Amino acid sequence: MESLYHIYRRRGYTRRDFLKSVLLLSAVLGFPPTSFGQAVKALELKPKPVVIWLEFQDCAGCTESFIRSTSILPSDVLLDYISLEYHETLMSPSGFYAEEAKREAIEKYKGKYILIVEGSVSPRNKGVYCTVSGKSNVELLKEAAQNAGLVIAVGSCASWGGIPHAEPNPTGAVPVSQILGDRQVVNIPGCPPISDVMVAVIAGFVITGKPPELDSMGRPKTFYGQTIHDRCYRRPFYNAGKLAGSFDDESARKGYCLYKLGCKGPITRNACATIRWNGGLSFPIQSGHPCFGCSEPNFWDRGFIYSPLSVVEGGFGWKGILAGVATGVALGAASAAINKKFREK
Amino acid sequence: MGDTTFYDLVRGPLLRFALFIFFAGISYRFFRVVFLGLPPDYAKPKGNPYYMAVKKIVIKPTMGWTFNEIFSRRAVNFIGGFLFHLGFLGLTFFVPAHALLWREITGLPIPTIPNLLGDILAYAALGSLLALTIHRMLNPVLKLLTGKDEYFANFLIGAILFTGLLATKWAGGGFYVWILSTHMLLADLLIIYIPFSRLSHFVYYFLSVGFMGWNAGKRGVSF
Repeated sequence: MESLYHIYRRRGYTRRDFLKSVLLLSAVLGFPPTSFGQAVKALELKPKPVVIWLEFQDCAGCTESFIRSTSILPSDVLLDYISLEYHETLMSPSGFYAEEAKREAIEKYKGKYILIVEGSVSPRNKGVYCTVSGKSNVELLKEAAQNAGLVIAVGSCASWGGIPHAEPNPTGAVPVSQILGDRQVVNIPGCPPISDVMVAVIAGFVITGKPPELDSMGRPKTFYGQTIHDRCYRRPFYNAGKLAGSFDDESARKGYCLYKLGCKGPITRNACATIRWNGGLSFPIQSGHPCFGCSEPNFWDRGFIYSPLSVVEGGFGWKGILAGVATGVALGAASAAINKKFREK
Repeated sequence: MGDTTFYDLVRGPLLRFALFIFFAGISYRFFRVVFLGLPPDYAKPKGNPYYMAVKKIVIKPTMGWTFNEIFSRRAVNFIGGFLFHLGFLGLTFFVPAHALLWREITGLPIPTIPNLLGDILAYAALGSLLALTIHRMLNPVLKLLTGKDEYFANFLIGAILFTGLLATKWAGGGFYVWILSTHMLLADLLIIYIPFSRLSHFVYYFLSVGFMGWNAGKRGVSF
């Protein structure tokens, strides 16, 4: 099977282009400069990775993001580089032939293939809410994960349950890791995740032969080690206390921090502020919209998208104050009455 | 528990619980005393009790402001106490993040202060709190009056100020959420602790000083 280098040459790119891509990839993955030679050698000689991509309760947004990778690997190389043996959205066969292709790939590349899961899993009522070819999603996941070399959950749905998991969660949606138990799952959350992050994790696995270093929630530390706030280009405005008051006032036009408008950058781990989107062109905060923390667990249920981080979640208000005061007055009156009774005795 | 889950807990249900306990506790302690009532006093007021109550609340803090009192005898108490209260209350209500919180709770248009002023207040409050605590530990009279309550309160407030400063200045990566959550957790604890400790002077100071003024006004004496 072809390596990445061969694909580059076949597509008409030069060796210099190939080396530049590997250099960028090494930098994005945080490899030390000394390992550049090892990365070049691996991608020059190792066959392209075999990927089985399962979709459960999803919107295919992660797939859409994935095929638009531009800065690390040109999109025309990317789809050639990865041997996508099964992908419901991208493959041409369907029905029996598609399922047969998957079964054959699992057999042929036992222990070597990368399993990517998009969308949450629904185990409720024996998985009846999400089935493919008569099999429940739980069954399909377990079957494919059993012999996988690496399991990657892409998107917030696969990583945390995402939007299907939001209240009232009618299908009982859960993240991939919950179904697979002790099996290590690399979570690449986001709605959708950044394409270059997905590509880099796959390529990193090809280079090193092992999964990336993960944090306690199974996210690659290289991309999710810091908050968006820490790397945001608007951070100096935050530090100076210069906050935009609305979406279209003078302060917003000057590019002030979007904290007051509900930005969740301070508590959201993702690489949006560094790698950015669309080939490094922009990201939500740069376009003037506050981050709403799509890569964090339960982001949809949080609900306070346009409220500043410091406000009480769910509100308190005068009703809360009056409830507290009324309770206090009632307790005070009861206490005074009891005291009076004792004094009279 | 992940850091954002913890953050959601301390800024959501726990903060709501703390605020409820605060308002219930403060009202309970106040009305427990009010409902006990005062013995009937049939004497006609000799002065103006309500005017004197307000006057006492307004001018009491400045009554001891003589040069000798401040600089020769109780310098740490006066200067430290003034700086600490100014700093702590200024930060609590007028730093942008806090002002937005109070706006949400009360619906009132709370103004915000610039970050530079916030920094000055924070360092002033933290420095004066340290000086006041050391003063308490060394001054023989204050030492006798001080119990675990005061040390715990000082530690709690100091930790809140310190973590608040860290949360504003921190640019060291992923621990930011934990620092912010710790700051909010400690603030939740303080809000719960206020009604049941001497920190309740935050509310009762005005009531007791006002009552003293009212009493003086009723008797027609000066204070």
